[in-house]
Amino acid sequence: MSTDHRSRRAGGPADHRRRDLLKASGLLLTLLATPAFALDLFKIIDPANKSKDLQKTKDIFKGAGSILASTQELDYHSEFAIGESLALEGFQRYGLPIEDAEFQRYINLVGDAVARHSDRPKIPYYFVVVSSPLYNAFACPGGIIFVSEALVKAMQDESELACVLSHEVSHVTHKHALKTIRRAKFFEGLGTITAATLKGRDGQKFKNIIGGLQSVLFEKGLDKNMEYEADLSAMEIAYRTGYDPNGMIKVLEMLQTREKTAQKSGSWFSTHPPLASRIEKCRARRRQYPDAASLARVKQRFISYRKRI
Amino acid sequence: MARMRPIITAAGFVIALMLLTATASSAADALWVSSEGAILKAQRSSTAAGVADLPVGMELIRLEYEKRWYRVRIPDGREGWIYRGKVSETPPAKETAAQEDSLGGLLGGLTGSSIRADTADTSRSIRGLSPEAREYARQKGTPESCQQALDEVLALKTGSAEIEGFLREGHIGEYAE
Repeated sequence: MSTDHRSRRAGGPADHRRRDLLKASGLLLTLLATPAFALDLFKIIDPANKSKDLQKTKDIFKGAGSILASTQELDYHSEFAIGESLALEGFQRYGLPIEDAEFQRYINLVGDAVARHSDRPKIPYYFVVVSSPLYNAFACPGGIIFVSEALVKAMQDESELACVLSHEVSHVTHKHALKTIRRAKFFEGLGTITAATLKGRDGQKFKNIIGGLQSVLFEKGLDKNMEYEADLSAMEIAYRTGYDPNGMIKVLEMLQTREKTAQKSGSWFSTHPPLASRIEKCRARRRQYPDAASLARVKQRFISYRKRI
Repeated sequence: MARMRPIITAAGFVIALMLLTATASSAADALWVSSEGAILKAQRSSTAAGVADLPVGMELIRLEYEKRWYRVRIPDGREGWIYRGKVSETPPAKETAAQEDSLGGLLGGLTGSSIRADTADTSRSIRGLSPEAREYARQKGTPESCQQALDEVLALKTGSAEIEGFLREGHIGEYAE
């Protein structure tokens, strides 16, 4: 029995052909396929995982995958830790939750209903109404979403609330806030975030991340294209859930009428693009929902809850 | 020329494989489950019997569309109806779906909004702030009232049945009539 691996590999024409085949396959796959797709195909070409050439190609793919993962995707655990910390700042800035537990439950039911129809339906979301006189709503990374009492009181029906909550959920699904501060390179050298991270040398990095997020969400605002994207995603999410997506437009029009007299700083007025352009884009998108007017608005239920606060 | 043959054979082989492994349906016939908690119904109605639970990402063959409902066939061959808002013409983003699917999987049947993802990590408590948030609060001197507020927000849980009941009462989506 030969134990010389080289002699086994240096076979006849059949072995040459097989090797050429595998090499060419690997090359083509490198050029054409996504990493995930390619890994599935490897199993078909070489189910017993015997080819060393193919193994090399596979390793390249796996390595590329994890490099991509570390630069693009912060793990959920870390994302949520950031969100919680930002939420603590949010309460300090915008006030504590309103005391009506039934109303808080109501807003979570609307929010959870729309979140189930979003692009990240499997993470938990948390919604809270805080006692702020500003017309405001914002989303912390990881899914903790704030809405001000003033904004809720200014709405007319549940479809409007559903659209605002959908807008905020969209910021979470698109990871807008995180992407914005990633540009400022706060995350360089930071891995998974744990309590130990905060206690160690990287503790200041974490605080800088939260500070950066406060600046973006409470003062400067996100990139205007992210806001437009969230408006349109909101209409889509509301529509999928079964609410009238026109609610988004009605809220923006309501804000337009109040703009002149309302306080701007720290509210949707200062952190978001001009209302007129948002409304225009939403109206254009509304054409894609020809039966929108027949979808749910649920005015009665909303009014009965609004009366409580 | 003889040396080209293996390359040409390989190219043909790979292309054939890609066609074989490509999804069976054409773009016009395929739908993907995009919403959490989707249930395939025996008839075109929310009150009809459930045929199967449909996980996010499952590929469906579209058979017909009628009044906001699709009639579809699922991979095991069963057919039924699904409300249009629960499906998408494009598959969900694979990376995110896989990562967050595993969160749901770790928690048994309770997924999504009904439970915090970090309950799978035994070093954390079900209610309340994470150790990270507590440490942040300690370092920043966050007022107790704000920590308490976050604690309460995170403790509020809704369940799948409650959400569906809420939609039903509001005649929303598949419950509209």
